[in-house]
Amino acid sequence: MPQLLTVRIKRSGGRRIRVWVPVLPVVLVLSPILVPAVLAATVACRIFHISALGALGAGWRFVSALPGARFDVEQGSTAVLISIR
Amino acid sequence: MNEQRRDILDMLAEGKITAEEAERLITALERQQPTASSPDARPKGKARYLRLVMDAMEDDEPTRLNVRVPLQLLRAGVRLAALIPPRALDQANAQLAKSGVPFDLTQLKPEQLEEFVEHLDEVTFEMDGPGAKMRIFSE
Repeated sequence: MPQLLTVRIKRSGGRRIRVWVPVLPVVLVLSPILVPAVLAATVACRIFHISALGALGAGWRFVSALPGARFDVEQGSTAVLISIR
Repeated sequence: MNEQRRDILDMLAEGKITAEEAERLITALERQQPTASSPDARPKGKARYLRLVMDAMEDDEPTRLNVRVPLQLLRAGVRLAALIPPRALDQANAQLAKSGVPFDLTQLKPEQLEEFVEHLDEVTFEMDGPGAKMRIFSE
């Protein structure tokens, strides 16, 4: 499971913004929203005749595979980096 | 180990050539092939990531895109895509056909996609255009 999301933004003026998002605390904070979201997704799965357990498993596998992903775009003096660890 | 080197060692093992001849052949082979320190050389072993690197000029400014995707994420994506209901695939097929792309998505099996992802570690794709250069490879 991802532990840390890093976002780095470099603006044209040379200003840099770095944000480190610890995933687990954020998930805990958002858990009151996540539980109804999972329930809504389960209902949607039933409506569209998709195995809810299969979808949950595939979704979990997808989230678990996220660490290591990195997106880095740079144009002139501006740059954005998103990294998942 | 590449095939030619293996052939030389096989010939040596079978006694068809002497150790000196094998050494000479391997040395000649190494001279022909790029060394490990060349920029195109990749470390051997199981690839874990798919990389996309693109260098281009946009609005007279150098633009660089560097994306690293874990192959495991592609496999998970394939599993997730396998959950798409057949009704949705039929609708997508109809839209594709309408756009002039007669492609049947229902014929695309998850096993085939997984096999495709498995073999991505052997793929290096390079595109060199007038204002852009793109490279897709695994590492």
